[in-house]
Amino acid sequence: MKKYVDVYKQCMYSAIQTASAYRMNFIVSSLITLVGNILFPLVTLLIYRAGTSFPGWSLYEVLLIQSIFTMSSGLSSLVFGGLLWTTMSHVREGSFEVILLKPLNPLFYIVATTFSVESVGLFLGGAALFIFSAMHIGAISALAWLQFTGMFLAGTAVLAGLSLMMAAMSFKWVGNSRISELADSVLHVGKYPLPIFPKAVQAAATLIIPVGMVGYLPASALLGRVQAADFIAILPCFVFMGAGIWVYRHMIRLYEGVGG
Amino acid sequence: MNRLKHNWLICRAVAEVTYKEWSAYRTHSLVSVIVGPVYFMVQYFIWTAVYGGQTTLGGLDLQQMIRYFGATALIGYLIMDFADWNLSMLVRTGKFLTFHLRPVHHRSFALYQKLGHRMLGFLFEFLPCLLIFIFIFGIDMRPASLPWTLVSVLLAFLMNFYVNYTIGLTSFWLVQSGGIRSAFLLVSGIFSGALIPLDFFPHWLQVTQLFLPFQYIAYMPAMVFTGHYSLGGLELSLPEAVGMQGAAVLVMFGCNELVRRRAMKQFTAVGA
Repeated sequence: MKKYVDVYKQCMYSAIQTASAYRMNFIVSSLITLVGNILFPLVTLLIYRAGTSFPGWSLYEVLLIQSIFTMSSGLSSLVFGGLLWTTMSHVREGSFEVILLKPLNPLFYIVATTFSVESVGLFLGGAALFIFSAMHIGAISALAWLQFTGMFLAGTAVLAGLSLMMAAMSFKWVGNSRISELADSVLHVGKYPLPIFPKAVQAAATLIIPVGMVGYLPASALLGRVQAADFIAILPCFVFMGAGIWVYRHMIRLYEGVGG
Repeated sequence: MNRLKHNWLICRAVAEVTYKEWSAYRTHSLVSVIVGPVYFMVQYFIWTAVYGGQTTLGGLDLQQMIRYFGATALIGYLIMDFADWNLSMLVRTGKFLTFHLRPVHHRSFALYQKLGHRMLGFLFEFLPCLLIFIFIFGIDMRPASLPWTLVSVLLAFLMNFYVNYTIGLTSFWLVQSGGIRSAFLLVSGIFSGALIPLDFFPHWLQVTQLFLPFQYIAYMPAMVFTGHYSLGGLELSLPEAVGMQGAAVLVMFGCNELVRRRAMKQFTAVGA
């Protein structure tokens, strides 16, 4: 275990060193990510500015959902952000064997070596928006914070599971740079209050691909709107991440090096 | 006449080769058949909820709004472009030199490539998504005026290409234009009207959009499709709107030509 912690720490250090070698690129990328996040809730702002709303949700409550979604994406991206592109690149070039020869778990090795420092901008942008919207929704109890923390971690597990499944897909759908769009489109549901969708979509977004846990349910916890039944949705999130790990490891076994 | 025929033959050959080249990756295009309808479904429920009891928002009723998003999604498949990335890669690797030596203008070559690439998009993205929108979502995707919509989409196609090509030309100075490209994609995504109709923006920002290229790429063709164009207090009939779009494309072409001439003086062919 200690070996894995040491390797991960070393990889984080290398990622930071690499980022500082190309400082301007790092600063510009982080700034664009940050600005992108500031503009992400623009649609919501414009909708409320036009004098209308998502029924039953105030502007700050919707912004809270979107900020939690962004923070969760930032956190997941920091750890799993490079997984898809690195796997895809190795499979396309037939160089995955090099990873298989390392004296480490191949999945752990790829995750550790693709630590994405640039995603800090994404997390910070989300955190700033979170603080801003949380300040406008009134007092939040300690229990609500506790519920939020559990759900937030579950939501991040969903994003990790999605990254793993997309990366696993690249073992068979070789070199398809649009795989990530599949995950992005599904995640789009998680950026808005779930009750605006039909019951079937709500059920799918809670139990099958639990994207509702990425923004909506943690925000509901802070707003004191969760029901006891909502906590059941935490389980599918970790099952989903477990399934992602299983699928990825299974696909490694199916890998056939053709390039090199 | 001979020159026209010669150009047509080059155009057909390049478009055909590009079509065949990308046909090998046609399943990549099929991702749109899942992604497009999912995004559209989300937009559908967002706007159905937002309209609630209201009849119009931003000058559009709910049906027009749904049609607007259907149109922007479909038009996006017809005009999609990455000439900026391509040109940037050619400059960075020095491979642009080989194009510089060919008896065909690289901009024309890139445009013909885009034609071939989008023909594939028409078959594997536009048509399947159009059928899904009509038969699964039950959306009326008949344009208010087919001829004006076709002209407007063609102009949007050219506008998108010239804007992207101009962004790609910055590589002659910057070598790596990834930052500019990301920034442009961000701004364009918001101000082209693909996320939300521009009528929702503050008045001063709507007026600003009249002088920027973004609205001519998605908002204007989508509004021509719905049969009603207004922005920043300016109400135009379809021929007037398409005329304005044509003028904007000419201005953009002029800007592109200006930047291209200056860029050619910068070219050093390093890396070839």
